Amino acid sequence: MTDTTVSQRRFLGIPGNTWTLILLGFGAVLTTIDFVLAFFYTPLVVGAQVAETRIINGIAVSNQLLFSQKIFYFHVPVAIGSFLVFFFTAYYGVRFLMTKEKKFDTRARIATEVTLLFVILTLITGDIWTRFEWGVWWVWEPRLTTYFIMTLLVVAYFVLRSSIEDEERRATYAAVFGIIAFLDAPISFAITRLIPSSVHPVVLRSGGGLTGTQLLAFLLGLFGMLMVAWVVYQVRLREELARERIEGLKAALEG
Amino acid sequence: MTDIHTTELALEVRDLSRTFGARKALDGVTFDLPKGAFLSIFGPNGAGKTTMLKVLSTLTNPSKGTAKVMGLDVVADSVKLREQIGFISHNPLLYPDLTAEENLEFFADLYCIPDAPARIEELLTAVELEHRRLDAVRTFSRGMTQRLSIARALLARPDVIFLDEPYSGLDPHAMDILDSLVAQVRDQHTFVMISHDLAKGLELCSHALILAKGKVVLFEEKEAIDPEAFSATYRQTVGMGVS
Amino acid sequence: MAETVAETAKSAHISSMRQFKAIMKKDIVMELRTKEMLTSMGLYAVLVLVVYQIALSQAGSSFDVLRIAAGLLWLAIIFTSLLGLNRSLVHEKDQGCLDALLLAPVDRPVIFFAKAIGNLLFLSIVVVIILPLFYFFFLAGKPLGGPLWMLPLPLIVGCIGIAGVGTLLATMSVNTNGKDLILPVLFIPVMFPLLYASVAATTAVLIGDPGYATVYWNSIALGAGYDAIMLLAAYGLYEFIIGA
Repeated sequence: MTDTTVSQRRFLGIPGNTWTLILLGFGAVLTTIDFVLAFFYTPLVVGAQVAETRIINGIAVSNQLLFSQKIFYFHVPVAIGSFLVFFFTAYYGVRFLMTKEKKFDTRARIATEVTLLFVILTLITGDIWTRFEWGVWWVWEPRLTTYFIMTLLVVAYFVLRSSIEDEERRATYAAVFGIIAFLDAPISFAITRLIPSSVHPVVLRSGGGLTGTQLLAFLLGLFGMLMVAWVVYQVRLREELARERIEGLKAALEG
Repeated sequence: MTDIHTTELALEVRDLSRTFGARKALDGVTFDLPKGAFLSIFGPNGAGKTTMLKVLSTLTNPSKGTAKVMGLDVVADSVKLREQIGFISHNPLLYPDLTAEENLEFFADLYCIPDAPARIEELLTAVELEHRRLDAVRTFSRGMTQRLSIARALLARPDVIFLDEPYSGLDPHAMDILDSLVAQVRDQHTFVMISHDLAKGLELCSHALILAKGKVVLFEEKEAIDPEAFSATYRQTVGMGVS
Repeated sequence: MAETVAETAKSAHISSMRQFKAIMKKDIVMELRTKEMLTSMGLYAVLVLVVYQIALSQAGSSFDVLRIAAGLLWLAIIFTSLLGLNRSLVHEKDQGCLDALLLAPVDRPVIFFAKAIGNLLFLSIVVVIILPLFYFFFLAGKPLGGPLWMLPLPLIVGCIGIAGVGTLLATMSVNTNGKDLILPVLFIPVMFPLLYASVAATTAVLIGDPGYATVYWNSIALGAGYDAIMLLAAYGLYEFIIGA
């Protein structure tokens, strides 16, 4: 069980626990700077690329400077983060199936927990954006749809886990479902994106137009969020490993 | 151990472990069983008996160590090994909606038995179910179902037969029939049986093994067994399992 | 050494085709005898159509059912298929028969393909029953927008995906405590992209709006892509599921 020593592992002479704190600090600082930059320095963006002038909420939006666009600096980093973390669910799923070692199952499960947190944040920020850009609380727009499906997949992952008692079977099924779910998410995006929905216009912003400050704010937000994701993952992993160790010791004492 | 010796062994189990996280279903089990033997495995619930049978019958892979059945490795030669194994469980492992004959035909196809109709005929006669061959298994009594499942297990002429608590749920009459069927084919196969019934298990066996917490507590030939001491050890391990 | 030769000879007559046929034949014989799956699926499908009638009863005459017909059709297919997928694996689980199957010298992919193709067969039968009924109840007299020959393709692409991925997920769900409750939770989000593509393609044919062929072929291609990726994954992962 090399797992239990994760917190003692050293990198550049600094123990893992300290690294977690340092990264948490960095992540917090970066996201805060992102926040400040986003609200006080980045220029307002011209309204979404709606083809003609439209009246939404009593305002013509074709040429409006959108304050709501500010959420871009949080929404997109969180969205990218959730997908990256989800990748680890599948990655550790594959590792688990190859080795059948419990530690990979634990990692996959915690990666999925962090994914759940991040997809929910993505949905909330995306929803707020939708509300102020299109004036409705929900639009079946490809990205929101994909994240909605991803949320359902992640919830299904935990429903599946909770319905299996045998530890090893639970781990195996979860690994398989994690891999399938991870494959499913990009396909969902591709299909909803490439097949035009007849109900809503496809309004996608092209990402190319970021000015210097905008790009800076975006990148700070991205790295900040990824660090936060990593720290949440690490903290949860420690907690789980400690718990498993206690349970192992208990079993050894009882047995 | 020489090669000649190896071929004489039905089971070669070396440091066999099956673990998941902190839980150890099997923990360093090592023993040899000669061909033609009848091994009874005893032990409390959760001692690893079922896991052992699952590993030996290729249903799960060991985490550590090796096991060979009739000289075939349970991991590397699993598909080939499955041809040599017959399995009789307390579950009938038969499709209730199919007739006796259809069930046997299905398994004959799975094992790709060349002379299927003749073999099925022969087995149905042996288990005295010829007159019910066209009836759905659903309509069979517990004893008849068990007899048919023995026919299923013998279908591919296996070298080793695994018995997973075959007596549980059987009435005395069905038990007698099972006994006589096993006695009929006793000298053609190697048997490995899991049992809760100490008397029955000891009566049938040539070798006895007691498992507790995934470890071998005792492994002896029948001649060497002192029944008193044996049942004392058994009671002790069962007690351990409960606490 | 002599023994090893003998064993190799014994393995030579193992024919995956014979095993595959045996599993298919057993499923078909059992179904013909009990008619469990087909009656419950067929009845369920008809009940879904009745519920559609209720849902559409107040929609008014200006409402064009054709616009949502493909969606309704796929809804009926997906929910009906859930029923069949569950049944097809529950009877393997019932008396420990799945263990018997695994104890036999059968390669695991043979089991996957036999079960998946069996499920595809039953699903196709049900679709063939639903389709005319659906037309009869909801679309009678309405002209089809696109050519009729284009209609089966999305159904085939959709059903292949449902049967393939469904077999994998149903094998998981029968081994859980929730059994039938777990399958939809796993199945519908995973099926989402394929359903989306299938509905798009079917709608394109039914309505035949200008440029429908582009949408149709796009959707078919994407649906087929989903099938290819997911079937490959299911095929590769089935061994882990069935052995756990």
